[in-house]
Amino acid sequence: MRKGLRILLGVGILASAIVSAEAKPQLRVVVAYYSAATQGIFEGMVKDFTAAHPDADIKVEVVNWDNLQQRLTTDIAGGTAPDIALIGTRWLVDFVKNDIAEPLDSYITPDFKARFIESFLTPSTINGKLYGLPVAASARAMYFNRELLTKAGIKDPPENWDGLVADAKKIKAVGNDVYGFALQGKEIETDAYWYYSLWTHGGELIDNGKSGIASKGGVEALTLYRSLIDQGLTEPDPTGYNRQDVERLFKQGRIGMILTGPWLRGQIKTDAPNLNYGIAPIPAGSAKATYGVTDTLMVFKSSQQKKLAWQFLTEAAFSPKWRIEFTTKEGFLPVTKVEAEQPQFTNDPQLKAFTDMLPYAHFAPPIPNWEQMADATIRALQKVYTGEAKPEAALKEAASSIDSILQQQ
Amino acid sequence: MHDASAVQSGVTSSERLGRRAAPYILILPSIILAFWIIGYPIWDVANMSLHAVNRFGQLKGFAGFDNFSHLVTEPIFAGCLFRTLIWTVSVVGGTVILSMPIALILNENFGGRRIARIIIMLPWAVSLTMSGIVWRWALDGQSGMVNATLFNLGIIHRPIAWLATAGTAFPVEIAIGILVSIPFTVTVYLGGLASFPVEIFEAAKIDGASPWQEWRYLTLPLLRPFINIALVLNTIYVFNSFPLIWVMTQGDPANSTDIFVTWLYKLAFRYGKLDVAAALSLVMFLILLSFTIAYSTLAMRDEEESSKSTGAPGSAGAGAQTGAIST
Repeated sequence: MRKGLRILLGVGILASAIVSAEAKPQLRVVVAYYSAATQGIFEGMVKDFTAAHPDADIKVEVVNWDNLQQRLTTDIAGGTAPDIALIGTRWLVDFVKNDIAEPLDSYITPDFKARFIESFLTPSTINGKLYGLPVAASARAMYFNRELLTKAGIKDPPENWDGLVADAKKIKAVGNDVYGFALQGKEIETDAYWYYSLWTHGGELIDNGKSGIASKGGVEALTLYRSLIDQGLTEPDPTGYNRQDVERLFKQGRIGMILTGPWLRGQIKTDAPNLNYGIAPIPAGSAKATYGVTDTLMVFKSSQQKKLAWQFLTEAAFSPKWRIEFTTKEGFLPVTKVEAEQPQFTNDPQLKAFTDMLPYAHFAPPIPNWEQMADATIRALQKVYTGEAKPEAALKEAASSIDSILQQQ
Repeated sequence: MHDASAVQSGVTSSERLGRRAAPYILILPSIILAFWIIGYPIWDVANMSLHAVNRFGQLKGFAGFDNFSHLVTEPIFAGCLFRTLIWTVSVVGGTVILSMPIALILNENFGGRRIARIIIMLPWAVSLTMSGIVWRWALDGQSGMVNATLFNLGIIHRPIAWLATAGTAFPVEIAIGILVSIPFTVTVYLGGLASFPVEIFEAAKIDGASPWQEWRYLTLPLLRPFINIALVLNTIYVFNSFPLIWVMTQGDPANSTDIFVTWLYKLAFRYGKLDVAAALSLVMFLILLSFTIAYSTLAMRDEEESSKSTGAPGSAGAGAQTGAIST
């Protein structure tokens, strides 16, 4: 008799557990790993949100950037896509093309939209529809080692490429183990490191539906980088150095000037607190330019909880409190106006160097198969950096393979 | 023997059929399971390779052999094929040859042999990814251990960025590939060496055979089946080996260290071209399959011939071979 009661009780508990699990609407959020702080920030958002919506069950999963795209691809293919994901904005094109991202225009209110700095909404707008909300933004600028520049007798950092070449020569004269200009030559964003030069020389990535990298500006841009290598103004054999490698050299005080994003400030703070450095705009050629990159929070079309997902975005993820927390802790540029007004942003001359460049920001063109085109460009750059090919020939070859990728769309 | 017993007991033909079929019926479930596990993925990949497939694995219509023609017209296809062959032949060849003296030394009786064996086996316990990361650091152009050592020895006068150019990166990767393949191959050889009958070596000594003759006419022929196993298994592993090259260079610079399997990863997960990637995996599968079949038939024919002509050594080898596999 007693045994029977116990079993009944057990079944009852199990049943109630199942019922309550079913009754609680679930939301799966996959976000990218930016730093050790990422998990804590998003869990804080969930805590705040579930305090206001005790019936919601929200699971946050932090995934490494390197695995994120593959992970989401596999999830989507297997029909187990999450409800919300934080992605690189340029992936959005492929998502939209395959009808995977939910357009947000019917959810968003004009008031909420007005909170954002408008230019950051552009990359997530495809065919006139908004498919995601920018969550992190960065622009690129030039970091310079003040101590090295002073030793070389340079007062102010160069404003244009001619000045950069002249200053790099002076820095080279300072000593054996220091290099004037860092040149990234392998792995992720090797192409971006050259786009700064391309854009400032008046080139475009896509021009009239065709690749613009082999244009006059493109050839000038690459010839410049090659001449820097030839004159020994960069570290030797750039194709041995990825982004972290050149940034490490800068932190060791062995690089005069490097082009990179705001995250390096945070790294210097912890890794090389005594480094005396400054931040200036990217050297100008015939034009001024920087690379603008945003990451996006998007909702999946397959989600069963779109309304709840939208509530989570508006009430937690994009609440002023968590926006400020995220941007400050992760070291990005403000994407909403509230953040931009915070004293920690307005009073920071270094961050100002980045925000000042925003009007000249170029974004990656919203075309599918972007990664394949980036790889074709990197191949051309590496051939030139290793001396295997001349700038014009290498760029022409890459441009024609990019054109054929564009035609396949 | 089967027939003899059947005749002796005088069973009917239907009973005999049943008895003959019984073992096949008994192993049928395992065969079906094996076919399902091995066959389904192959069928799936083959199916994908004949369709247009989008980034998310959804089939978008029949494409015939478009994916294959797309694959071979890719500018880097020929280069990748060439490098895959160089990589496989050099790593497997180097491993099979270098493992021989190591196995022979470790088979001798000397103080500390046990420790020496453990040291040789250690790299096996470290994952390939870990080895790749360690070597990437060791070969660093600025602060790498390799450069520091060569510099202190006075062999080089300025640091070399080993992984920055094709001329050094690919040979270095092959060398490391050999290094990490040695433990497995040495183990296979040692298993063989331990199984040899002592008597014939004693007899050879009494007859005045030199160590070279002993190795050439006794050890090598006896070891032949083990060398064959090492060759086939290593070829399969090395041909498909992804982590080392991926961790050290990702195929850079300018695809000069890309082999089929690293390119396959880029096609599938970076470019989202799952259909072309499926075609490439099928091509890779067929290359390996034909190699394995061709080599196994050749090796088997040789073995049969040698066992026919010499008798004892061949059968001893074959017996030891099964022993090595089960360990």
